[in-house]
Amino acid sequence: MRRTFLQSLALYATVIFTLVIILFPVYWLIVTALSTTNELYRLPPTFWPTDPQWNIFAKVWAAKPILMWLWNSMLAAVGSVALSMLVSVSAGYALSRYSMRGGASMGLFVLTAKMLPATLLVIPLFSIFSSFGLIGSLWTLVLAHSTMIIPFATWMLKGYFDTIPKELEQAAMVDGCSPIGAMVRVVLPIATPGLAATALYAFVLSWADYAYARTFLVNSPDNWTANLGITTMQGEYVTYWNDISAASVFIALPIIAIYLFLERYLVGGLTAGAEK
Amino acid sequence: MANISIRNVSKSYGALNVLRPFSLEIENGEFVVLVGPSGCGKSTMLKILAGLEPATEGQIFIGDREVTDLAPGDRDIAMVFQNYALYPHLTVRQNIGFGLKMRGTDKTEIDRRVDDAARILEVTPYLDRKPKDLSGGQRQRVALGRAIVRQPQAFLMDEPLSNLDAKLRVHMRAEIGALHKRIGVTTVYVTHDQVEAMTMADRVVIMQGGIIQQIAAPDELFNNPANLFVAGFIGSPGMNFLNADLRDGKLTAFGQEISLPRATTYQGPVVIGLRPEHLKLGEGPATFGTRPTLVESLGSEKYVYFDAEGARIADGEDGKSKGLIARVSHTGSLPRDQEIRLGFDPAQLYLFDAKTGERL
Repeated sequence: MRRTFLQSLALYATVIFTLVIILFPVYWLIVTALSTTNELYRLPPTFWPTDPQWNIFAKVWAAKPILMWLWNSMLAAVGSVALSMLVSVSAGYALSRYSMRGGASMGLFVLTAKMLPATLLVIPLFSIFSSFGLIGSLWTLVLAHSTMIIPFATWMLKGYFDTIPKELEQAAMVDGCSPIGAMVRVVLPIATPGLAATALYAFVLSWADYAYARTFLVNSPDNWTANLGITTMQGEYVTYWNDISAASVFIALPIIAIYLFLERYLVGGLTAGAEK
Repeated sequence: MANISIRNVSKSYGALNVLRPFSLEIENGEFVVLVGPSGCGKSTMLKILAGLEPATEGQIFIGDREVTDLAPGDRDIAMVFQNYALYPHLTVRQNIGFGLKMRGTDKTEIDRRVDDAARILEVTPYLDRKPKDLSGGQRQRVALGRAIVRQPQAFLMDEPLSNLDAKLRVHMRAEIGALHKRIGVTTVYVTHDQVEAMTMADRVVIMQGGIIQQIAAPDELFNNPANLFVAGFIGSPGMNFLNADLRDGKLTAFGQEISLPRATTYQGPVVIGLRPEHLKLGEGPATFGTRPTLVESLGSEKYVYFDAEGARIADGEDGKSKGLIARVSHTGSLPRDQEIRLGFDPAQLYLFDAKTGERL
């Protein structure tokens, strides 16, 4: 069906309106980074700095250990993704394929863990980690982030596994695979888009964390993650928002890069052709 | 190739019996079709045979080897699934060769056998494609290729044609038949389509409610159904059934008394069965008059629907009765609601016990 001019207009207007709302904070972040301190406080605000300070990025990069913060964030996120994917893939697959006593309610119970706010878990986690002598180590973040990620990731993956026909594993088993072999050789390759989406979700969740990092790592500056590091740039008397914004741009870049890398795996439809 | 022996295999989920003790001896090279309505236990039996479901009780032998507790991959069988179950991330070549690879077959040997299977099934041009780039018929052939390449002891096929359109189904039915003749592997084939069962099978196993109703060659099933269910299931259009009373070798039906040519001592209520093609336009040894409620023309023949006292529908049908039906050769016009005469031979009547449904 061809769209009329009015329909096209309405469609594009909606898309543009949505994009403006979503991208405005990003745009404002960049504008803030590029503005001089004086211009930042000018009223009415300028929508593009009169004298863009492009050297701000180099200046901030040199002044603060941003690379180290990013590296720590990366370690925590990769560790959290690895641990939570290992658990969620197994759990999601089991919930999808094996009927067990109370299986459905167990699946829902897993989700209740997700309903607890992170701040509620901070104190018990702190007490557990300190009894294991882990406070100040990046492992605290790997474990704490996994507690946030696993419940929801398990559900995402269960839903994805549910869409893969059981006959594929049965065919693999008739072809000589063990149940685990059928999962590894047939189900997981087909589930790549689901795995990629879940891994991205896990990565973003870990990357965006501040509360856990602040609680467990505040006294170990060498292990500060990017989010924690940036907040230390806030001064007691003066805050250089342009510096903070420039640092924030650096922190956003890895997420964008990872999204671009995973995007081709996120495209669904890989199972097309398995069935009729 | 091997014979298959199924001995008293049953399956239940708690108190629910989906398969009553099931015994069947399948000869080496035989083509056996399990047929029946949905939920009759035929697919369950096939899955138990494949090792995809455990049997609650009983034993299964393939050749002289007991396989009851073996994993599917250790039974030396191949299975074709209703939805083909091709691995979407692998090419056709990898799909066909997957089972050989899992068994550690040498790479050059895999290539040789995949090429052979592809040639037999005429899928050679598509070997480097993914399943999603194939048509339904081609996917079906690849699924068959995956089965034959392993040269297994037996083929198990679970409604392999039901996803194809009508024309392709007829074509693939003939191809599977020809393939079986060519390689002669023992085959167990599950379908709900009685036409597939009748045209492909050496022997048909008719099932209902987890119970075997009859095991026989197709013609035998048609000519000598063991009970009401089999009589109603086999044949298209289905057999007509009427409630009647049998006294001293005489029946009352179609408003008249009909003498049975065969001697029978049974007295009491019976169901009589009459195949639609055994009714003829005009006079016969027994004749009655009726008004058609509906006439469907197929060109060379017509399906004439009519009502009669005591008419009943076959078990397992959809419950919507159009009354009785006669299948007559007639090319002229046959108006509805105009009196016609239909004749039949009482020797062609089937009699069933009204209580048990067993053939008398």
